[in-house]
Amino acid sequence: MKTKYWIIIIVLLALLFGGLYLVQRHNARASQVAEIWVDGTLFKRIDLSQVKEAYTLVVGDLEKGSNTILVEPGRIRVLEADCPDLLCEKQGWLPGGAGPIVCLPHKLIIRMGEE
Amino acid sequence: MAGSKKEMVRRMSRDALLTTLALALYVLEAHLPPPVPVPGIKLGLANIVTLFVLFRFNEKEAAAVLFCRILLGSLFGGQLISLLFSASGGLLAFLLLLLLKRILKPSQIWVAGVFAAMAHNLGQIFMARLVLGRPEVLAYLPLLMISGIITGLVTGITAQILLKRLRGVKILQD
Repeated sequence: MKTKYWIIIIVLLALLFGGLYLVQRHNARASQVAEIWVDGTLFKRIDLSQVKEAYTLVVGDLEKGSNTILVEPGRIRVLEADCPDLLCEKQGWLPGGAGPIVCLPHKLIIRMGEE
Repeated sequence: MAGSKKEMVRRMSRDALLTTLALALYVLEAHLPPPVPVPGIKLGLANIVTLFVLFRFNEKEAAAVLFCRILLGSLFGGQLISLLFSASGGLLAFLLLLLLKRILKPSQIWVAGVFAAMAHNLGQIFMARLVLGRPEVLAYLPLLMISGIITGLVTGITAQILLKRLRGVKILQD
């Protein structure tokens, strides 16, 4: 008997979409505190609701590579980076998007933390 | 003639050529804009070659072609850190492929593409989790695996068609 692999794959796909939904719901939870992690340690916590004026901050240096982060009232994103793939720039604003902002080459994570 | 020197040279040249083909696909793909801005999501066209070698020839030659391509691809790509992700994903995918080769019929080779892509995404994201030292990146696991199923379908079906259509090509016979 031929194993019906497409059934297994459809079931897996359904489970994964379930997982995706849970992750999205988790992301949508109301939090205004952004955390910037570099190389496994907490670099900065920013309460986005307290931000009155937009500003940028630079994480890293020329040698290790750097990301310029734009902080605005209520939201945060990577504005510029000198990493090779620039995926962190394209991930857009937090809160929002598919999940935390990740820059793998520079080991940088921006996530919405607990209040 | 099996095991003779001439046979060895023939296999080596053929596998080198196939590795070059895989590398060309890998480099080509690196120049395409990423479909989604999530680290780790890509088409994985080079895996068509891995699947082809595994199902047409044998495990040893597929491993050689795969790991030479990963090593050289990361050197050409200029991102040494990507070697870690490719290697961990590639290793996990290959281990699963060893099992799949034993149970899949020629008409089911596309399944190997799907499961290998998912295994690759799994291996790569756990390596990313280790490198980043934080679990946030695991939030991308469902998205990565869904993309793996889709891209794996593409590469798997392509490999299956190629295995059938290229049956008569002499230099690609074992």
